Amino acid sequence: MDGLTWTEMFDFFGFAIAATLIAGLVCPLVGTFLLVRRTGFYGIALPQFAATGVAFGFAILPWWQEYMGVGIQSSDLAAGEHIGLNYHLFWASLFTFGALAALLPGRGRGTETARVAAGFALASALTILFVHSSPVGDIYVHELLRGEILAIGLHEFDTLAAVLGVVLVVIVIFHRDLVLVSYDRESAVVLGKRVMGWELLLQVITGATIATGVMTVGPVLLFGLLVIPPFAARSLARSMTGFFVLASSLGVVSAGLGLSISFELDWPLGPAVVVAGALLFLPIQLIASLRRWT
Amino acid sequence: MSLAEPAGSRPLLRAEGASFGYGGVAVIAGVDLEVGPGELLGIVGPNGAGKTTLFRGLLGLLPPLSGRLHRCRGAVGYVPQREELDAVYPLSVQEIVHMGGYGRIDGWRRWWRSPGEEERERVATCLDAVGLASASQEPFAALSGGQRQRVLIARALMTEPELLMLDEPTAGVDRSAAREVLELIAAMNRERGMAVLIVAHQLDQVRELAPEVLVVKDSRVVRGASAELLEPKRLDELYGESRPSLEI
Repeated sequence: MDGLTWTEMFDFFGFAIAATLIAGLVCPLVGTFLLVRRTGFYGIALPQFAATGVAFGFAILPWWQEYMGVGIQSSDLAAGEHIGLNYHLFWASLFTFGALAALLPGRGRGTETARVAAGFALASALTILFVHSSPVGDIYVHELLRGEILAIGLHEFDTLAAVLGVVLVVIVIFHRDLVLVSYDRESAVVLGKRVMGWELLLQVITGATIATGVMTVGPVLLFGLLVIPPFAARSLARSMTGFFVLASSLGVVSAGLGLSISFELDWPLGPAVVVAGALLFLPIQLIASLRRWT
Repeated sequence: MSLAEPAGSRPLLRAEGASFGYGGVAVIAGVDLEVGPGELLGIVGPNGAGKTTLFRGLLGLLPPLSGRLHRCRGAVGYVPQREELDAVYPLSVQEIVHMGGYGRIDGWRRWWRSPGEEERERVATCLDAVGLASASQEPFAALSGGQRQRVLIARALMTEPELLMLDEPTAGVDRSAAREVLELIAAMNRERGMAVLIVAHQLDQVRELAPEVLVVKDSRVVRGASAELLEPKRLDELYGESRPSLEI
């Protein structure tokens, strides 16, 4: 970024930097579950549904202002005021959890993959249509989709830190139970675990991470962190605990490296972090291959 | 259906006129059965006869469509089919065996004590019991089929079971490894007095291991001595031309 020192970068973009690092720490943990449950495609589809929810919020904003009597102004939404953020979060969460409920295994017809793919196509189309019908949303959603997150403010940071903080605590405390019900559901039932409850908890933390992440750091960064660090970590992991630690560490390193690339090359932050993650993937694959040969 | 008296006084598993099936349709009906302490029972039958349905029903994974099922809570160790477990999970042997103790300790308590010296010792003891004490840090997926089966038995031992229920533990395992697994199961039964209920496809293995069998055919279950029910003439009636070999 021309004309700014690193110190000034931290002063101006402190919230964006902190938010990116927190996302780098927590999102790969959620992504490990998506990967081992072979539902990695949810990491791409659900952020799209969350973005659709945001676009829908913009599309119905005139109606909302007129009939709901809540004083949300377009400027609140664009400027990231709390009321605007909550409005976005409401729609993003509604669409994310709605998609989770509709696409879960055992629901509807066809294979799970086909349902998610069809849902993704529909959500992508609806996002464009909703944005098209809202001139205000056009700029905001485009910024969101590009991954330009440097303008994150205190309110967005607060929300992201609180939600991902809870997700982190839940995973640290309950990861063994969540792994058991994912890995061997029948044994979990025999051991007396409330499988539906644990499944629900996993869906809730996945949905909350994605809805909040899309609203704050954007879908590009979010699905990059959900998918790439766990994918890279899997080839080196020799235990589930090691897998969690490695995926999360790679997420933080990707975030740090992406921040550097973004500042030095003046790239949008979201795509820069994803590219950094992909760059880390290559040497890790090399190490994994060498280990297999030896 | 004949009903043998259980060896001990308190049945670990009792089905009374139970029917099991899917979508409200019974696959197995009228199951009257008791499994007592120290008993070793094989479940055999032609493919598609309902062995797995019966096993899942007795395990409590399928609620009875009719009749009743009593199972001593916490007294059952379950060993699933190895192929059903996804190798994409990078679990270590220690982590797999540790899972067996999750029923006793919830997430909160485990967090405060984690990993817990006592629990670690139990994992080591169970691995030692199946002869894999030195493999605790190995990735589960890197072990041979027979070793993985023994790890799953070690996991079941974590519950300190009175009844061990195994679903085709020698499927996909080479002959010498299968023999080791069966010897281990027989030793658990003999030395620890643990009751065993085992689904098996290899009739020779069942005849060698289990003094009694449950034969599943035409939606019914017949219980009897292995030597009697697994003799060639009876097997021809049961399996027809698809009868597996009895050669050992």
